[in-house]
Amino acid sequence: MSAATLHLLLAAAMFCIGLAGALCRRNAILVLIGIELMLNAANLNFLTFWKYGPQPQPLDGPVFVLFSVAIAAAEAAVGLALIIAIHRRYRTTQLEEISRLRG
Amino acid sequence: MNGPLHLDLLRQLLPEAVLVVSALAVLLLDLRVFGRRALSERMANSGTCAAVGLLASWGVLGMGAVPVETLAGAFRPLPGTQFLKGVLLLLSLATVVFAMPGRFTRHAGEFFALLLIATAGMMLLIGTDNLLMLFVALELVSLTLYVLTALHEERPGATEAALKYFLFGGIAAALTLFGMSLLYGLTGSVQLSVIGSRLAALPREPLLWIALVMTLSGLAFKIAVAPFHLWAPDVYQGAPTPAAALVASGSKVAGFVLLLRVLHVGFGANTAGSAGRIPWSPGWIPWIAVLSTLSMVAGNLTALRQTDLRRLLAYSAIAQGGYGLLGLMDPRPESGAAVLYFAVTYAITALGAFGVVAAMEAAGEEPTLPGLAGLGRRSPVLAACLSVFVLSMAGIPPLAGFFGKFFVFVRAISSEPQSGRLWILSVAVGTSAVALYYYLQIVRHALLLPAATPAPALRVAPLTLFALLLLAGATLVLGFLPGLLLNPLQ
Repeated sequence: MSAATLHLLLAAAMFCIGLAGALCRRNAILVLIGIELMLNAANLNFLTFWKYGPQPQPLDGPVFVLFSVAIAAAEAAVGLALIIAIHRRYRTTQLEEISRLRG
Repeated sequence: MNGPLHLDLLRQLLPEAVLVVSALAVLLLDLRVFGRRALSERMANSGTCAAVGLLASWGVLGMGAVPVETLAGAFRPLPGTQFLKGVLLLLSLATVVFAMPGRFTRHAGEFFALLLIATAGMMLLIGTDNLLMLFVALELVSLTLYVLTALHEERPGATEAALKYFLFGGIAAALTLFGMSLLYGLTGSVQLSVIGSRLAALPREPLLWIALVMTLSGLAFKIAVAPFHLWAPDVYQGAPTPAAALVASGSKVAGFVLLLRVLHVGFGANTAGSAGRIPWSPGWIPWIAVLSTLSMVAGNLTALRQTDLRRLLAYSAIAQGGYGLLGLMDPRPESGAAVLYFAVTYAITALGAFGVVAAMEAAGEEPTLPGLAGLGRRSPVLAACLSVFVLSMAGIPPLAGFFGKFFVFVRAISSEPQSGRLWILSVAVGTSAVALYYYLQIVRHALLLPAATPAPALRVAPLTLFALLLLAGATLVLGFLPGLLLNPLQ
């Protein structure tokens, strides 16, 4: 099995673990961790495709990763701010207890 | 990187730059100048500054119209992109007007600054051909909208709605990014137009389907079509009403432009070359059909039992998203104008409906279906505008919404192969008939039913009334003269 395949399998596994975490976890912070894992799996994909793709090619892959790391950081900042706001109001970060809006 | 390139870039992005600068100006002015005054004055002042920024951006929109291939084609306008940017600016302007009489947050400057930044993000989103720019702009819009949703301080559900919006949005963004990474791996490019031409030459392997479905799922979240719609009712209900109006109008238009570009440029319909074969469309048409059917059925049926006006509008928006997707099922370039006509006219009516809701809230009324009773007597203009918007959404001729629906239905049935399209059209027509019930309920409550207790006339800010009348007028005029909107989009 080539190195590229191994990297892609690792990224796919990370993505699946992240997705499972994001969908099944009941704590908002753990869901956020799942989302970050999914984003990083995509980053690993970009780097793998760039490294093992036909050479030479433009730096599209690494540039994409730099931007998406920055975006993931911004997303985490907004997410944590929202979770803090929720915690102030509801005194919990468990998602099933945060359900006043229904219908 | 040299000088002229940067100047080109600046000229290309001047409207967006003006928006960002005015966002910073609003923040600063609210902090240093308006900071100690009463909240209503701060909202009015910051809103005025934001409106000036939007108008300035609209003014410079035409100046950078030279279609230069800046940054290796990162900003490649499609026909109508400049026009749509203008539409987005006007939609945001109306949102600002609706927000000015509100007292929902102490953070007046932040609210309007975020609104301007979200608008800049939407304009970047519809102007780019590059997956990286597209992702950055998508996240710029999403992150600002999450915060805008949370900015209501009195409504208990606002933070909850924002958290749900954020968590669904985060998963959707991760799906999109993973799909994009697979597309990059398969084609070696991040340019949608290059991806389109290279995909046409590729064998149809499973990885391609996965990339397609993942990218589309993330984008479907943006326009809130089932089964990616779960955030929408909570956000429409919990968010400050002007923020919900922006989610329902500008963000929706941007989402449809984005889907159109990704599907028709990225997934290769426009590369149908000499052979006349449409290389990739068979891959995504069934998927779009499924999303469309699900949202038409789920949105319309759930809307039937809503009594909260904002929540009802949310389910109606989900259903309307499904109708819009019908037009995307035809992969030929002509269908673009039909879909965009539908999206823009729907955005105008949704914005107007939320404007009425915002006006009711600013007057201290709870916008529920029973709460609408007697509106015709208490504020005839509000009731008349609301009726125009709602009837347009229901698709009553000669309002603009009728032609929007008509155009997308025609696109859906005239695409090939025709045999498979009849069932989805019958679903669309059937659910439209169902939808008529709840739209007419709104009109009945607003115009016909008397108030339960005698209530005084509603006091509505004159600027809000003016904006509502303009939107209602646009709904009428675009119905009589669809060419006004269709021609610039073709």
